[in-house]
Amino acid sequence: MRLMNTPRSMEISITPRCNLRCRYCSHFSSASDVDQDLRLEDWLDFFDELGRNAVMDVTLEGGEPFLRQDLAPILDGIVKNRMRFGILTNGTLIDDAIVHHIETTRRCNQVQVSIDGSRPETHDRFRGEGSFERAIQGIRLLQRHGVPVSVRVTVHKHNVDDLEATARMLLEELGLPGFSTNSASFMGLCRAHADEVRLDTAQRTDAMATLLRLQKRYPGRISAAAGPLAEAVLWMGMTRALREGREAEPGRGFLSGCGGVMSGLAVRPDGAIIPCIQLSHMELGRINRDDIKGIWQDHPALARLRVRTATRLGDFEFCRGCVYIPYCTGGCPATAYTMMHDENHPSPEGCLKRFLEDGGRLPDEPER
Amino acid sequence: MANPLVVLREEFDDWAVLFDPDTGNAFGLNPVGVFIWKLLDGRHTADDIALALASEWSDAPENAREHVAELIESLVSNGLAGYKIAMDR
Repeated sequence: MRLMNTPRSMEISITPRCNLRCRYCSHFSSASDVDQDLRLEDWLDFFDELGRNAVMDVTLEGGEPFLRQDLAPILDGIVKNRMRFGILTNGTLIDDAIVHHIETTRRCNQVQVSIDGSRPETHDRFRGEGSFERAIQGIRLLQRHGVPVSVRVTVHKHNVDDLEATARMLLEELGLPGFSTNSASFMGLCRAHADEVRLDTAQRTDAMATLLRLQKRYPGRISAAAGPLAEAVLWMGMTRALREGREAEPGRGFLSGCGGVMSGLAVRPDGAIIPCIQLSHMELGRINRDDIKGIWQDHPALARLRVRTATRLGDFEFCRGCVYIPYCTGGCPATAYTMMHDENHPSPEGCLKRFLEDGGRLPDEPER
Repeated sequence: MANPLVVLREEFDDWAVLFDPDTGNAFGLNPVGVFIWKLLDGRHTADDIALALASEWSDAPENAREHVAELIESLVSNGLAGYKIAMDR
């Protein structure tokens, strides 16, 4: 296993605070939900270290990054250290001054705004009244300044029937180049509101069919790394491979669902260095105290995560008797942790066998 | 000479990536390319670099000077390096 000298990218939860309390927020009630906002100077010192280690990209998230009054000098610290940045936001606090500043840096990969519906009724249901209008204003402001803007749609129980209109609004009315989708995962606040928020099996089945249809209607413009669309693509490939009696692809049949620990690290709002924002309980060290390169190369917890890929799915009781094992990746380690209290376990959320046993149905294969 | 804004990211073994943060573009460099890049400091000419290369690598080809010039041209055309003009006094 070849490991890069230093991480290429860094996810940074720049503040634990947020002006919203979305019902499925993965941040609140997680280990990242701390009561400490680090000082600007602490972040700037850390960015200097990232610059010395030739890190290429920083993603700022939260909480809500635009709540930080010192966001402009934070971005300047990233730019000074020859890095690029992205920002994940609810879009409701974006104003002209900060967008102008982002534009002038010329280092922004994208500002990703969360939009969960085509109209306030669906978007605001779990995000709070007025958030839809403000988020759309934020997107328009970013577009006016020529800042690359993308949208993430989180699919849940109350917007699954609004996906067609959402795609039309984002791609045709707002003219965005594309958007990505996921679903409310069993993390953070979603754990307490799972029945109210999460798709049931029938809705998951519908969401897969709808998103695949939309993907065909808008070629190359709808993507997913998780959630119903990603699952549909992965699982249809697995059932096809089984039907055709194909041999396993490299890596499949093992816990290979995530390669994030081979390319980047993350930091909590209190400065704890962690493997990933979604694995915020795994403290590896502290910024400006522990050497980032040393953690990256030598931390035993990271080494364990990196050898997950040598763990056979067939060794888990959970997977016993499953015919899809040779084609399966075991899913996301973070949802394995929140559901099974063990990141080195297959994730029940990403289990095709369980989905089918619950009555789920995969979309029909397109005709060839 | 090397564009000072460009980041040399030494990844594994002696291979590296040149990263231009203004464009987001990245260019792979093999170990010889890394050696050359590190000498693009405005003090070494292409001839100096070819000589240094020959003394560092016993199996350097005879036309190493041409390879050095080709790489420098490619770096310049991608905005990763520029020429420093010598001023005679």
